[in-house]
Amino acid sequence: MDTRGPLLLNLTLGFVLTGLFLFSLFVGSNPVPVLQALMDSINRDPSVISLILTEVRLPRALIALITGATLGVCGAAMQGLLRNPLASPGLIGSASGAALGSVIVLYTGWSAVFWLALPFGGMFGSLLATLLVYLLAGRDSGSTTLILAGVAINTLALSLISLLLNLAPSPYAVKEMVLWMLGSIAHGSMQDFWVMLPGTLLGWFLLTGTGRALDALTLGEDTATTMGINLPRLRWRIFLATAFAVGSAVSVTGAIGFVGLVVPHLLRPLVGFQPGRLLTASAMGGAILLLAADIAVRLFPAGTEIKVGVLTSLVGAPFFLHLILKSRRWQP
Amino acid sequence: MPVPYKIPVHVLHFLLLLLLLPAQASFAEPPARVVSINLCSDQLLLMLARPGQIASVSRLALEPNSSYMASEAGRYPVNDAKLEQLLLLEPDLILAEGFTSPSFVRLLKHFGLRVEIVPNSFDLRGIRRNIRLVATLLSNQSQGEALISEMDLRIQRVADHLPAARSKAVFYQPRGYTSGLDTLQDTALNHAGWRNLSKELGVNGYGNIELESLLVAAPDQLFSSAYAPGTHSVAQHRLSHPALNRITGDRPMIEIPYRYWICGGPMIADAIEILADSHPVTP
Repeated sequence: MDTRGPLLLNLTLGFVLTGLFLFSLFVGSNPVPVLQALMDSINRDPSVISLILTEVRLPRALIALITGATLGVCGAAMQGLLRNPLASPGLIGSASGAALGSVIVLYTGWSAVFWLALPFGGMFGSLLATLLVYLLAGRDSGSTTLILAGVAINTLALSLISLLLNLAPSPYAVKEMVLWMLGSIAHGSMQDFWVMLPGTLLGWFLLTGTGRALDALTLGEDTATTMGINLPRLRWRIFLATAFAVGSAVSVTGAIGFVGLVVPHLLRPLVGFQPGRLLTASAMGGAILLLAADIAVRLFPAGTEIKVGVLTSLVGAPFFLHLILKSRRWQP
Repeated sequence: MPVPYKIPVHVLHFLLLLLLLPAQASFAEPPARVVSINLCSDQLLLMLARPGQIASVSRLALEPNSSYMASEAGRYPVNDAKLEQLLLLEPDLILAEGFTSPSFVRLLKHFGLRVEIVPNSFDLRGIRRNIRLVATLLSNQSQGEALISEMDLRIQRVADHLPAARSKAVFYQPRGYTSGLDTLQDTALNHAGWRNLSKELGVNGYGNIELESLLVAAPDQLFSSAYAPGTHSVAQHRLSHPALNRITGDRPMIEIPYRYWICGGPMIADAIEILADSHPVTP
C-alpha cells in the first residue's frame, strides 16, 4: 500500500492550514501589530491590541478551524458510510436539525440557565433529523431517495426555525434567521469556542478508527460483514459522532452549507478513493475552506457584514452543478 | 322704514350660530376627544392633557418597558391605529408622529378627521418644541411650560456638578448598533458630561460599529438600552462578549431603560441623571 501520497497530501494540507490560521489573525477591520499584541498578551499586559488578538481574532479563527474540520470530516464519514456521494451534514438534515435544536434552546432562554444546553440542543436536533432522513430513505437507498428525504426534513426544520424565530419574545430574533440558515462565525468569543469544543472533540474521537471499517464497506455490506465489521454499530457510531460534532458546531455558528459536501469530493481522488484516508484529509480541507471563506468575508469593506455561509454556498453551488454534469456524462 | 317681510329674531340667531359653529369648534374650544396613535405622541398627550380630554392612546403606551407613562395610560381605552377603530372613537383631534405613514395620515384626513403630527426629536430643542406644540393643541400651555422648566432645571442641576474631565463612552446595542450624531442618546451623553465616541468616529444617526473599532477607540464606559429585557437572542447574548468588559477595565456595561429615550420627552432628564451618576470615580 502506498502511504507516501496521503502523507504528502496531509503535510501539504497541514502546512496550508497553519498558514491560513496564522494569516487570519492578521486580518481585521483595524490594522493591529500582531507580534506586538502577542508579546503583550504573553506578558499579561492588558493592551487594546492584545485584547483584539486574544478575544476577537483568536476565537474567530479557532471557531472557523473547529467548525470547518467538523463539517469536512463528518461529510467524509457520511459519504463513506452511506456510500453516497451526496451525503453530507447539509443535505441529510444534520445541520438544519442542529440549527432547529439550538434555536429552541437559545430563544427560550434555557441556554442562559445552563451553558451546555445549547450544544445539547444542537446535538439532539442533529441526531433526530439525521435518523429521520435515514429511516425515510431506507437502508441502501439511491441518491434520489436520500436527497428527497433530506429535502423534506431540511425544509421542515427550516420552516420550524422560521416559525419559532417569528414567535420568539425577543425583538431581535426575526433578524437572526439568516444567521441560522446560512451560518456566521463573526463576533464569536472564547466562551462560544469553549461551548462548542467538548461536543466536537467527542465526535472526532468517535470517528477515529472508523477508517478501516469504511474502507471495508466499499466492497459492499455483505463483504464488510464477513470481514468482521459490525455494521449496525458502525452506523450508530457515525450517526452519533456526526450529531455530537455537527450539533455542537452548528449551535454556535448556524448551518454553514456545502463545506461537508464539497471538501470530501475534492480530496477523494487525492487519497486514492479510500474513505479511511479521506477522514483526516477532509478535516483539514474543511478547516482550510472555512478559514479562507472567513478571511474573504473580513476583506469586504467595513460595515457590510456578509455571512461566511453565503460565501461557502457561493463556492459550493457551482461545484454542485459540476457534480451533476459529471454524473450525467458517466451515465450510459 | 317699512320692512316687507320680517325675519324672526330667533331664526336670525340660529343662522348666526350656524356661521359661528365651525369656527368655534376648531379654534376657541379646546379639543374634547383627543386620540393618539403612536407611543411618542401618547406620552406627551398623557403628560399634558386636561382631565377628560383623552379619548384613547395606542397599545404600546401601556407597555412598561417602552412607555414612561404606562400606569397612567392604563386608565384609557387602547387603540391599534386602525382606521375603523379610530372612526368609532369619534375624535376631534388625532395626534400622530413623524414616523406615522403619510398615506395613513392622508386617509384619516380624507374621512374628515383632524390630524396633527408631532415631529421626531433628537435634541432638547426638539423636545421643548414638541411639548409646546402638544400643549398648544390641547390648550394647556401653562402645563407645557411647567414641564419644560422642570426638565431644564434637572438638566441644569446635573450640569452644575459635572466632573471636569469628560470620560469616553459608547452606546452599544445588540447587533452592534450605536448612536452617533443627532440622536437622543448623543444629546443625553453630552449633557451628562460624556464624550460620545461613536459621534467622534463619524457615526451619523444610528449605525453599526465594528467590535474591533470599538475596542481600538477604548471607551471608559459602555452603555446599552436593549429592547425587551429578559428575552434571549444571539444579538443580546453578544453584549456579554468578554472583550467588552475587559476594555472598560471590568466596569460592567450599564443598562439604561429605553423608556427614557425611545421617544423625545421630558423623561430624557432621567436618562441624563443616570448617565451623570455613572462617571468613573477619579482617584
